[in-house]
Amino acid sequence: MTSYRTQRLSLRFFLLMLVLLLVQVVLGVVLSLQHADPTLLSGTMNFNVTRSQHVNLGVLWILSGFIGTILFVGPLLSKRELAAPWLIKFLFVALVAVTVWNAIAIFFAQKGIAGWWLGQPWIQEGLEYLEAGRAADIIILIGFAILAYVVLRTFPKRSEWNEIHWGLAIGVTALTVMWVFGMFFIGRIDLQEYFRWFVVHYWVEGVWEVIHISLIGILLVLMFKADVKAVGYAVFWGVTLVWLSGLLGNAHHYFWVGTPEFWQFWGSLFSALEPVPLILCFWHMYLDAHHDRKPIENKPAFYFLLGSAVLEMVGAGILGFTMTFALTNVWSHGTWVTPSHAHLSMFGTFGMLGLGAAYFIVPKLRKATDFDQRFGRLAFWLVFLGMLGIGFAFAIGGTIQVFTYRTLGLDWFGGDLYPAMGTYKVLLVLFGIVFLAGVALLVFDLMTLGHRVQAPAPQAADHTPPTSGWARPLRGFEAGTWLLGMWVFGFIITFGLLSYNLPRVQGGDPTIPYLAAAVGYPGLLLTTLLFVWRFLASLEARERASSVTMQRRTALAGD
Amino acid sequence: MAADVDRVEYGRRRTALLVLALMIMVFIVLSAFSFVGSRDQITPDTVTYAGAFGAVDGKRVFQAYNCMGCHTIVGNGAYLGPDLTNTFESAGPAWIAAFLPSAGTWPTEAALRVQLQSQNQTAETGITDLAAYYEAYPGAKERIERRGGLPTFMPNLGFRAGEVNEVIAFLKYTSLMDTEGWPPTPKVDGLEFPQAAKAINVVATDGSTTAGATADPAVGLTLADQYGCFACHAKTEARLVGPGWGGLFGSDQPLEGGGSATTDEAFLAESITHPDAAVAAGYPAGVMPAYAGILTEDEVNAIVAYIRSLEKP
Repeated sequence: MTSYRTQRLSLRFFLLMLVLLLVQVVLGVVLSLQHADPTLLSGTMNFNVTRSQHVNLGVLWILSGFIGTILFVGPLLSKRELAAPWLIKFLFVALVAVTVWNAIAIFFAQKGIAGWWLGQPWIQEGLEYLEAGRAADIIILIGFAILAYVVLRTFPKRSEWNEIHWGLAIGVTALTVMWVFGMFFIGRIDLQEYFRWFVVHYWVEGVWEVIHISLIGILLVLMFKADVKAVGYAVFWGVTLVWLSGLLGNAHHYFWVGTPEFWQFWGSLFSALEPVPLILCFWHMYLDAHHDRKPIENKPAFYFLLGSAVLEMVGAGILGFTMTFALTNVWSHGTWVTPSHAHLSMFGTFGMLGLGAAYFIVPKLRKATDFDQRFGRLAFWLVFLGMLGIGFAFAIGGTIQVFTYRTLGLDWFGGDLYPAMGTYKVLLVLFGIVFLAGVALLVFDLMTLGHRVQAPAPQAADHTPPTSGWARPLRGFEAGTWLLGMWVFGFIITFGLLSYNLPRVQGGDPTIPYLAAAVGYPGLLLTTLLFVWRFLASLEARERASSVTMQRRTALAGD
Repeated sequence: MAADVDRVEYGRRRTALLVLALMIMVFIVLSAFSFVGSRDQITPDTVTYAGAFGAVDGKRVFQAYNCMGCHTIVGNGAYLGPDLTNTFESAGPAWIAAFLPSAGTWPTEAALRVQLQSQNQTAETGITDLAAYYEAYPGAKERIERRGGLPTFMPNLGFRAGEVNEVIAFLKYTSLMDTEGWPPTPKVDGLEFPQAAKAINVVATDGSTTAGATADPAVGLTLADQYGCFACHAKTEARLVGPGWGGLFGSDQPLEGGGSATTDEAFLAESITHPDAAVAAGYPAGVMPAYAGILTEDEVNAIVAYIRSLEKP
């Protein structure tokens, strides 16, 4: 599978991804501490600087993971070496340079220096997610163009393309095109927000999603020898449904930014459909993992891919659904309720894909395919648990914030809101530290994998495969029941957000929304946790089962 | 058989792509209608503060300091501080000017009264009287009464001349925008609920308690706190918006436009009451409000005595 020399170029992008990830998560913990104590580092690294670094590094390491994966699968899809490897080496240097430059430039916000020249902010521009100044924007645009060029030049003739080729080709091209919409200073807030969401929404819900679906598709083909035609079918319909719902679904960002009321109709309707392709992707994951009963060779890689598909459905699909209607969004908008969705979907969908791909690819490139998988599995559980906890802290803290800030109209953050949300601000720090521990472990593991002395892989326990209990084989009906359970809790959360419209709640009684949140969020997140545990337990049992069968066969052969 | 399946699938895919093309058309039409002039949505090029400061310039300042990294505007941004969309309509220009550049405490009534004298403020609102201002901007009254003199978490940003006024112009623009009813208007008075922090305003707001005490540095410190002097002046030698007070007394101060002056009692008193009479080199004129008519002579002397107490040993 690593028969092409230029595939090795992907390794450096994965290492960069790991370094940026670690820094980003450390900054995330600093942010949560600053939320708990806003005087922390005030004047040295103000909250807005920490946050911009956290957000930008999040985008950059996810992109590094995408690039690494694309460079690995590109030659496999094309059956030839990557075109212009020197351009890829240049891309790497440019990516490192622009990352460092941007990290420095963000600090200029503390002095109010944007670097205005020709009407554009060249150093930093202080817009959420688009904090990079124009100088960095241009370098990034060139980088995307290089990536698109290399991918398109490497791919075979168009007549030989399957759906995965199409997905990746459209993905890398649109990545470049969409970026341009964030490169202009606009005086009007409504128009600026309109185009800012072109970049942010169409990137994550259009372009990244297409790349995500295509990469999940090719990785499933590689890991499970899944049928290319069946995967291609899923990729086409996945991508098409993402666009059918997401194109007008972008309207959910145009409810309150000064754009007309009619967007509330279109946004509520179409973005409510956005979970459909995510459920499809999730279901395909289940089918592919179960289409043969063979044990999974590379568990950490599969753990993270499963985490990606599940958190995509829970974080992007269900939590996104709860706040996508104008009548619920009017309350959740601009509060801590939204980062619960953002963290689960961003890290879950795209971050876990990059990490899964790294666990799949790095051992192959380092020729260490029989690596000790225990670190990777433990790291998965730590980051998965940590991220569910972060989502919980944001969601419940946000529920209190909506009531205190919007319903009671108390707007003194230091006096009224911080005390009300205090418990959840502390919880955020605690779960952040769990998450950080998992990230530190997986960064260490992936960095040194193949270089450190390998502990012998543990022997599988010798017992008969379970036919009942927690590790029994997972069937479609049961998986469907879990899925339904998650959605039931999702509807409870949605109802909770809707209930802020009730006269009773607006009169100052928070019982209904608080109760719905107290049942809905923990219910959803615990169901998710238990489901992944159950799914993986049934897969682990396969390995034991097959190793027991092997031993029996050997014993029989001995007779 | 397989060919049949393929043909059916091909037809389905073509239909899906046609529907997608239709959606793109719908999106383009809706987008075009969003920004036509007949919508009467306010645009920033038509909004100024006091007829002199433009909202577009204010937006540039807003972006340069990355305000969105802590606050939200039309609900987008970060969640450390409050949404700023309607701050202008709620608290008004004088309160915003008294608060920015935030340096540790919320503005007191004394600090607000200083800003009521500012020419820009009067040109904008036509209000010089505190009661009238409170009536026009009830949010200012609530903020002064509940938070005045208490610590704020917003870091000191050391705005340059004009930047505060430009931000005010920008916030005026966002207040005037039609955001389709967002944020929702509360139906109850939140202050009656236990979630509201107790009003523990530690600083007297009328300033009369200090009358008669002359040249007492301790009184000067209290006054400087009340009037928000430390928003712009550090107690050390550090430069914030204006020069730091540490070691300022008795130094030789070069003046803008040549020459120099010794910072004795008379010079400092004049700098407080008529700051533009002699401006220190390197500082723009017109930033500091004139305190003549706001502070009594005794109060000025007390503040000068406090500055003197910070003299280098």
